[in-house]
Amino acid sequence: MNNDIPLNWFLYFAAASFAIGLVGVLLRRNAIAVLMAIEIILNAANVNLVAFWRYGTPAPGSGPLPGVILAILVITVAAAEVAVGIGLILLCYRRWRVADVDRYDTMSG
Amino acid sequence: MPPTAPPLDFRDFWRIAPAATLALWGLVVVLTDLGLARRLGLEARRRVVGRLALAGVGLALISAVALFWLDSLAAVDPERLRQLLGASLGDYFARSGEVIFLGALASGVSVDILNFLYLILLALVIQLATSYRFTDDWGECLALLIWATVGMMFLSAAEELATLFLSLEMMTICLYLLTAFEKSRRRSVEAGLKYFIYGSVSSALFLYGLSLVYGLAGTTRFDAIERILAGTSTTAPGLVGNLAGASALLLMLVGFGFKIAAVPFHQWAPDAYEGAPAPVAAWIVTGSKIASIVALMKVFLHAARPWSFPSNDMMGPGWVGIIAVVSAVTMTYGNLAALVQTNFKRMLAYSSIAHGGYILVGLAAAAVSINGPAAAGALLYYLVIYAFSNLGAFAVAAWLVRDRSADEIDDLNGMGAERPLLALCLAFLMLSLIGVPPFGGFFGKLYVFMEALNQGPSQTRIILVWLVALGLLNSAISAFYYVRVLKAMYFRPRSGAGLKPAKSAIATPVLLSTLVVVVFGLFPQPLVDLMKSAAGPMLVSSSADAPISAPPAVSTAPGAAAR
Amino acid sequence: MASILFLVIATIGLATALGTVLSRNLVRAGLYLVAFFFAVACLFVLLEAEFLAAIQVLVYIGAVAILLMFGIMLTRDTMGDDTTAIPVGWMVPGLFGGLCVFAVLVVGINNSIAPSGWSPWEGTSSRPSIVKEEAEPGWVAERREAVNDMGRVIGVELMTRYVVPFEVAGLLLTAALVGAIALAHREDPDPKPPRSANRAAGPGAGDGPSTEAEEPVASSVSS
Repeated sequence: MNNDIPLNWFLYFAAASFAIGLVGVLLRRNAIAVLMAIEIILNAANVNLVAFWRYGTPAPGSGPLPGVILAILVITVAAAEVAVGIGLILLCYRRWRVADVDRYDTMSG
Repeated sequence: MPPTAPPLDFRDFWRIAPAATLALWGLVVVLTDLGLARRLGLEARRRVVGRLALAGVGLALISAVALFWLDSLAAVDPERLRQLLGASLGDYFARSGEVIFLGALASGVSVDILNFLYLILLALVIQLATSYRFTDDWGECLALLIWATVGMMFLSAAEELATLFLSLEMMTICLYLLTAFEKSRRRSVEAGLKYFIYGSVSSALFLYGLSLVYGLAGTTRFDAIERILAGTSTTAPGLVGNLAGASALLLMLVGFGFKIAAVPFHQWAPDAYEGAPAPVAAWIVTGSKIASIVALMKVFLHAARPWSFPSNDMMGPGWVGIIAVVSAVTMTYGNLAALVQTNFKRMLAYSSIAHGGYILVGLAAAAVSINGPAAAGALLYYLVIYAFSNLGAFAVAAWLVRDRSADEIDDLNGMGAERPLLALCLAFLMLSLIGVPPFGGFFGKLYVFMEALNQGPSQTRIILVWLVALGLLNSAISAFYYVRVLKAMYFRPRSGAGLKPAKSAIATPVLLSTLVVVVFGLFPQPLVDLMKSAAGPMLVSSSADAPISAPPAVSTAPGAAAR
Repeated sequence: MASILFLVIATIGLATALGTVLSRNLVRAGLYLVAFFFAVACLFVLLEAEFLAAIQVLVYIGAVAILLMFGIMLTRDTMGDDTTAIPVGWMVPGLFGGLCVFAVLVVGINNSIAPSGWSPWEGTSSRPSIVKEEAEPGWVAERREAVNDMGRVIGVELMTRYVVPFEVAGLLLTAALVGAIALAHREDPDPKPPRSANRAAGPGAGDGPSTEAEEPVASSVSS
């Protein structure tokens, strides 16, 4: 097709999602909201990986699908991370009844 | 089925025997704790599960030593290998030092040495973990410690971005869980959540940088990336005009900087080290830092080597300048913050942040030194001494918590009179951390700073001299807070109840660490030579990987891409 | 045609991402996140990685988002008090900072320097063709097979070239499972029964019956 989507558009989308996720990570104070913003950043990286895979020419020695395989592994890691995170947040919630990242200040110095 | 599968050599699985043993043994430990050991009382269960875990580490140690012996034999006398192992295996092991698993992992003497180091440290940490009661889930705790080590082993051997990222996550997710394991204390749970949030953010940023690096290079293997980045230096040296490459490297640096607690990514470290149970804190400070530094070395000194300091200009387009600045800030901040601490574990946390600064000096040195990659051997020697010193110190912290339920520096008052041998060991460890001869810490800093000054005719010499001077100044400043520990032990009378005798679970790590620090301080040369011979091959492309030729130019005219 | 489709999906994706980050109500943020995941899955389909799109929907929407919803429900910060939203004073600087980061990345993407002989990102206006021709470079056949039969090729790759990351991923999931259960399970007897703390602290009619309902749900989830 002559009017294919240029590679840059996918990269812009990923960059914009990365920026949005970064703002969310730095500014939201609830731990679960920070987790959601982290997922947005991870998805931006995945879009990058698959776009570079499809539009690039492969270097010999990496196989036909490095971008897609990396994306699958990232999805796996993200799932494990969210499970661990929710476990830790629930553990904290049982102590203080809030899930706010900044409220934990027992240690200082 | 069309035979298009790439040819995986199944004999490669022999080379990951230590890590595979540990992975399976972790499962054995968990199942034993949940099944057989439930009938025993709490104390008995702790001992049984601890001994079982140590047995697994012993098995892995045997396999690591066997691999090391086979690899050194391959360099000297390959014929004997064929006689011992038969034709097929003998031929396979005779080719030591190549990348295995079709490019995913490195192999050879360097990997074996690092595996051995991790296993020794793990054995000491497991012993320490069974010394006092901070949790009731012993099987899960020890299994997570073991699995974190599997992550560390693969991280040090990774030759590819996928393996690197997965093993990095493996190691840190186990450590997040372990930090919160002392559920009954508020500070432990809080530390776990804080560590998790900071860690996940940094690994997400790291991943975005990784995706940009993949886009720039088209491949995930380090040696291929190095060749491709070297290829761009004819058109535009280094990061000049390459904002995407610069952002990618910076983002990866953020990820690594978090793992090694470099300023300004250190916010999690004091809380995590103070809140985590002492054995877990010991493992984060020693094992996780070593593995992260080795991975950092591989990515920056191997994959991104062409971008280290092109055009021989310090603050030019390269990452050496950034590392030097981060190192200076980290050293200074860590030392100044440690001066005001009254909590022993927190002081050790800031001291290890400062040591991260010295380690980064070593990284910059390995980039600019005329010894090339072998200069990283000095850095590895420093890491070994640093690991054992900190392990011994955290073992003493565990002792304090076991008997006093608190770990302030004041709790060490009067220890010199009561427990002279172990107090002497702690004194030696503190002196080694300051960098006083004849302990290992002195030689570690000496070699690292010498490599930083050991350069050819280039302008980077000037700025690194400044960095070395700052390092020496910081070592002098650090003496003030380490000496405070010595003062408390020897010159203050005992306050409160004394410490009960340290059983072997605590005494062994302390004694062994002191032994290592003293022996390798008196005779540093063998270890330094060993590390130099290990570091060289680790950072240079091995001979057996596929050559990269410039791929055929893809026509970008829209008409040609008819679908 | 494909461009218009891409623009629609990208707009939806970015709008839902903004909704996730800016929304006060955490449940709404979770739902926006589900829509974002779906938009990313549609992008994977546009990139001819349909297998990956299926995995994205199954794992991200079917597991991760559900888990996040559980977390939100069990921590009961759903009605958006001041702590869950971005503080108002930070909103404008935050958006400005985000725009700066985006601008830096866009400039970098536009001016990226490619290795010699390859085409830079800006010039790549269409993807390499995988239609079978006579004089095609060697890798095109491999890629054609990968795109047409992605499930099988992924399986082969995961078992040969990427077997180490694959096995480590399996071990990672095991470790996360073992650790999270060890952390979150309740020992009996529970040292601080939350019920008494709740009665002491919680005003309002909504707390009574819903706490009763929360306890059995929480214990059945975490034990």
